[in-house]
Amino acid sequence: MKKNTIVSMQDIVMSFSGNQVLKKVNFELEKGEVHAIMGANGAGKSTLIKILNGIYHAVSGTIIIDGERVSINSPSDAEKLGLAFVHQELNVCQDLSVAENMYMGNMRRTSLGTYDKKGTHQRAKQLLELMGVDIDPYVNMRYLRTAEKQIVEILKALTQDAKVVVLDEPTSSLNEREKQKFFEIIQNMKDKGVSIIFISHFLEDIMAICDRVTVIRDGVNSGLFYKGKFTKDELVDAMMGQKKVVEQAKVPTISDDAEIALELSSLCRKNKFKDISLKVKKGDILGICGLLGAGKTELARTIFGLDYYDSGKIVLFGEEIKPEPYKMVKKGVSLLTEERKSEGFVPLLSIRENATMSILSQFKKMFVLDRNQQNKTAELLANKMTVKMSGIEQTVGSLSGGNQQKVVIAKCLANEPKLFILDEPTRGVDVYAKSEIYNLLRKAAAEGRTILIFSSELEELLENCSQIVVLKKGKIQKVVKSAETSKNELLSIMG
Amino acid sequence: MQTRLQKIRGHLSEDIMRFGIIAAFLIIMPFASEYFFQMKNIMNILQNISLQGITAIGMTMVIITGGIDISVGGVMAMCAWIAASLMKSGINWGIACLVALLIAVLCGAVNAFSVSVMKIPPMIATLAMMSMTRGLQTVISHGTTLTGLPESFQIIGQGMIFGVIPIPAIIVVVLYIIASLFMKKTVTGRNIYIVGGNPEAARVAGIKNKRVLFFSYIACAVLATVAGLVFVSRTNSAPATLGTNLEMKAIMAAVIGGTSVTFGGKGKIFGTFLGVIIVGLISNALDLLGVSAYYQQFIQGLLVLVVVILEAIRNNRAAKKR
Repeated sequence: MKKNTIVSMQDIVMSFSGNQVLKKVNFELEKGEVHAIMGANGAGKSTLIKILNGIYHAVSGTIIIDGERVSINSPSDAEKLGLAFVHQELNVCQDLSVAENMYMGNMRRTSLGTYDKKGTHQRAKQLLELMGVDIDPYVNMRYLRTAEKQIVEILKALTQDAKVVVLDEPTSSLNEREKQKFFEIIQNMKDKGVSIIFISHFLEDIMAICDRVTVIRDGVNSGLFYKGKFTKDELVDAMMGQKKVVEQAKVPTISDDAEIALELSSLCRKNKFKDISLKVKKGDILGICGLLGAGKTELARTIFGLDYYDSGKIVLFGEEIKPEPYKMVKKGVSLLTEERKSEGFVPLLSIRENATMSILSQFKKMFVLDRNQQNKTAELLANKMTVKMSGIEQTVGSLSGGNQQKVVIAKCLANEPKLFILDEPTRGVDVYAKSEIYNLLRKAAAEGRTILIFSSELEELLENCSQIVVLKKGKIQKVVKSAETSKNELLSIMG
Repeated sequence: MQTRLQKIRGHLSEDIMRFGIIAAFLIIMPFASEYFFQMKNIMNILQNISLQGITAIGMTMVIITGGIDISVGGVMAMCAWIAASLMKSGINWGIACLVALLIAVLCGAVNAFSVSVMKIPPMIATLAMMSMTRGLQTVISHGTTLTGLPESFQIIGQGMIFGVIPIPAIIVVVLYIIASLFMKKTVTGRNIYIVGGNPEAARVAGIKNKRVLFFSYIACAVLATVAGLVFVSRTNSAPATLGTNLEMKAIMAAVIGGTSVTFGGKGKIFGTFLGVIIVGLISNALDLLGVSAYYQQFIQGLLVLVVVILEAIRNNRAAKKR
């Protein structure tokens, strides 16, 4: 073992109920290094990290930290060893302030031993300013959007004086500008000698920030790459092996006289969005982008009836409508929400029940459900989405994050939506699954379905949408044709 | 397929454990008390089971939605007393029961309104309902017990089929079969699991959460009242204390039966059925062993705590294993 190695995981084997998910995986992290772990959904990345965190216990293998062989039996062991974890699914106290969340567990005390609210918030403010983050430390977490919460979580790791920080999909909810900021934060941490394990599906981000990349495929190491000495394709090959997606479906071209599927006229909601007027043609794929706080998610939820609006009009398939989720589902509208864990699926129920959740009454025969029909439909949906599963009776809670997302999309497709609204559709999904999802959306559009993608991933929008609506501070800033614009141009309109 | 087999085995092993507990009672109790296997005692157990058992069906449904209903005892007492007093005033007993059930529907609807529309925690909403119904029952009954009900009404609780099977036992079994099939095979039944498992996801999928909650809370109140009416019919009396501590026993039966009070969406009617039998056997054993009523209440509370802790331990372990 080299002298400046801080974490070394050797020959790690792990299995769940007889199913081997890690077969002798090795991983080494050097001091002050940013090291990425990559792999397709279900390759074993999360499992490896959970072993390091003490959530799972490896069947065999050694973990060496700072030259000493350790056994990590619980997350608190990991914390004592100087490892900090920022999880993809955020765990925050919604009704505590930003500062209190950052300093949770080591808040400042006054000389009397009571909680020093002012001191804690001041320290938080300093750190926020140092990192150039514009968030008020006194605001409760509840009022932040996902991306802001993510930033707070990362800063929380910094408050714990961790030697090693593990970031699981840290950039997935960040937009371009925040990403730049985030990379600066990472650079700052690196300069202070903090080592970083970076788990992500975003090839560009990894190529931009990581010193080394360890690739895992199907539970074994399938490559170690050094910064600047590999191409995107090599990385994808290592991750995917033979199964690559051939792009088939084309981005739609819509004639000017096509029917209008959805029309919004001067839709307003106080402090969220203002005067949104929009026409979406049948069979079109329309993208909507904007910085954090531009009103993307709020608009998506309002169209579906999950949130209210103050004034304006929504016309769906030529008919004015006051949206309510059940009404929208009946009319053939599906929404993929931004928050997968809290709004997407029922973890205890099977893939079958989750995928067919919105169309249960279709299986009603007399009074009871027709199980055969339900099985067939669920099987079909799961296969369409290539969910990696032991069978449709597997509970969705036991799937990996990316596969959960696939089940949630399958659920949205179940009612054969005529209008499909997606909010951050590919977050936490691997490259292969991503292109599968894009293909699926294009095919759906070719069948005459209308698709609305709300996303902060500009490449995704440029690649799939005919037009992109740019939101800024709750207003439509500009509508551009994808073919006539570029990422940089979009960025400048957004900012 | 392996996981599926394991899953089936997992389910079975839990029920086997419950069957085991029941078997243990049946084996040990005859040694502890010679009365245990006497016809009179068996009838006694069956009758207790009918009161708690019918109530526990609705309780299980409500707990699966992620809620709880502690107003069942009060609702039962009030509605059953009203039915009895209507019968006494000469109104046809069928109509009297119908009026009682309609009042139960109203109580359940108020509970559901508080929980689903006003978003009040179920524990508090139904605590208020419990206090209101108990209070009203005392106001109209002045704490008295009504007896001397129509004989045709008493048949429900006292009649036998083929001269050996009490009608209440048949009512219990039939209701459990219907409820079990309902939860497994109907859209509303499955929606109860979905809403309990993740209310937000249910809403996004176009499920009318409020409707599901109204259904569950109303079913719970109605079933409790049915249980009360069967009891009144059997004993030919409507006491003011009817249904005291009943919420505890119903919750206990559901939890022993594997329904989760920690998070919604988990539980089975058949499990509750076994749970009810176990609870019935426990109370009977305590009676036979001469344990005082005060100790019994303590022991019931303790048992609920132990069972819930066991469930928590299992959940924590499952979370570790994934």
